[in-house]
Amino acid sequence: MAAVLEGGAHRAHKELVKTVQLEGQVLLKIIQHCSEALPQLVTGQLLGLDVGQQLEVTDCFAFPTAVADDDVEAESAGANYQLEMMRCLREVNVDNNTVGWYQSANMGTFQTVELIETFINYHENIKKCVCIIYDPQRSARGNLGLKAIRLKESFIELSKEQKLTLKGFQEVKLSWRDIFVELPIKVRNSNLVQALVADLMPAPSATLADVDRLNLSVAPFLERNIQSLVECVDDIVQEQQKVSVYHKSVARQQQLYAAWLQKRRQENTQRLQDNLEALPEEDPTLFKPIPEPSMLDNYLVTNQIATYCDQINIAASEAIQKLFLMEGIQKAGL
Amino acid sequence: MAATVLLPSGSNVSVKVHPVVLLSICDAYVRRKEHQDRVIGTLLGVVVDNVIEVKNCYVVPHNESSEQVMVDVIHHKTMFDLHQKVAPHESIVGWFATGSDLYNSDALIQDFYSKESTHPVHMVVDTTLKDNKFSVQAYTSRTLALGDKVLATEFVEIPCDTIFGDIERVGVDLMLTGLNDPSPESKKETANKSFSDEAETLAASMGRLADLVAKASEYVDSVVSGRVSGEPAIGRYLADTLALVPHLTRSDFERLFNESVQDAMMVTFLSDLLRAHVALAERLGTAALPIV
Repeated sequence: MAAVLEGGAHRAHKELVKTVQLEGQVLLKIIQHCSEALPQLVTGQLLGLDVGQQLEVTDCFAFPTAVADDDVEAESAGANYQLEMMRCLREVNVDNNTVGWYQSANMGTFQTVELIETFINYHENIKKCVCIIYDPQRSARGNLGLKAIRLKESFIELSKEQKLTLKGFQEVKLSWRDIFVELPIKVRNSNLVQALVADLMPAPSATLADVDRLNLSVAPFLERNIQSLVECVDDIVQEQQKVSVYHKSVARQQQLYAAWLQKRRQENTQRLQDNLEALPEEDPTLFKPIPEPSMLDNYLVTNQIATYCDQINIAASEAIQKLFLMEGIQKAGL
Repeated sequence: MAATVLLPSGSNVSVKVHPVVLLSICDAYVRRKEHQDRVIGTLLGVVVDNVIEVKNCYVVPHNESSEQVMVDVIHHKTMFDLHQKVAPHESIVGWFATGSDLYNSDALIQDFYSKESTHPVHMVVDTTLKDNKFSVQAYTSRTLALGDKVLATEFVEIPCDTIFGDIERVGVDLMLTGLNDPSPESKKETANKSFSDEAETLAASMGRLADLVAKASEYVDSVVSGRVSGEPAIGRYLADTLALVPHLTRSDFERLFNESVQDAMMVTFLSDLLRAHVALAERLGTAALPIV
């Protein structure tokens, strides 16, 4: 995705963005686009301004889902769409500044390598960008599943240096928790819109959202979560195997190298006795250093596990609360 | 007026608007250029039977003076093409304008839009807040013709409503409850309304449900005591609703309750166990789970 340039202030190695502020219409547009496109996952662009440490998102538009067969064609079509849209929006005084993108996620999982790559792409041009993740399943249960995500600055530095190994992470004291940073979201509306909202919709009595929220059936949601969790555990066991294979092969290589070195030394003592030159004790071509596997996948899967666990905990505690409320009502003899 | 005159076709047409559209229009109005009094743009949506559902909109730059009006058609076409790529099922259903009244030039614009869609709807959003009310009105046009000669175009008002999809309701709910907090301390907090306050929103929902039940029981009381004459439809509806509450024997309910609570607790335990494992693996520095 080509990113449009607009100057951003250069800051030191600190968190550049602390909060994200959305306009009401952005919120509703994201909800409408993502929920209409189910079960397909969709993305869109966010436009706005960055004000100090707060990122204000004032408008957004959707990306067409790429259906072109040719990858090159799809990319240029996507870039064209973006440029055209930004040009048209500029004519009507919409903020012409890209501040990030939004995407819908299934069951709240967004920790993929593509996301990180997209972030790094954006980061090259815009230092202050944010990704908004919308979870349609969570919203169907009555709560709004919206999150604003950024990559941690130190993680971006690390990945630029290509040092995504265990040692690399430990050097900078990053753990798997530190890859993504979640930012608090505020909703803001202009005064006119507040008048509209207050006038068009009367003071809320119980709405459909309440009905969804008070729904007692939580088992299917927990089931799906646990299923995904099981898949994640499989993934992480695979990653673990990769790491142990690496350790074993390094150990084996060391052994071979030690044996070869001994042999070389013996040869050398022999040759010294014969008054010949000693052969070098190093041979780089014979023992290439094995590259350490990247820890990125490992950490991403761990992040996913953490997300699922959080979701399960929240859903389960909600369910217990509702059940106890039901018990109370039953006891009152209704 | 013209209550007895039949519209040539498409009578009983009504319009339903999504709140996204209204918010976009307000935003566009706030962003308009200095010399312009009002903003106009295109409405996109779907037509089902005689109901026109307006789902999306975009602003079209225009220039109007007392004699003529110019609309940027290229912009309109480009934006429509772009929107088609994202939502191919939406089509042009009309156009909107801010302001409180109809202008003379509206007829010309309506003419232009009737080339784009069969029965364009003209929506007027009153952003000047006349009468302290935010009104949204929809009109459809009729041409008054004498024989072959077209005399004038008449705008006839049609009913217009705001609808919410189920999911949008959550978003709008949040905006409402976040904005309607009357106490002064929470005025500072409304801007910081966090989305992830699960327990609080559950309590709020329960509170609202309790309010609703209280209102219903008040109504029933007043009907029983004769203060208010009861309507049989409401009475039947309430009876039906109450009949939906399942009557469980005590042992049945306890069994159900215990099972559900146990399920929820077991799942919580499993997820905490997994988290402990992951944390342990991290501490051991092997990045390997102690599960073999």
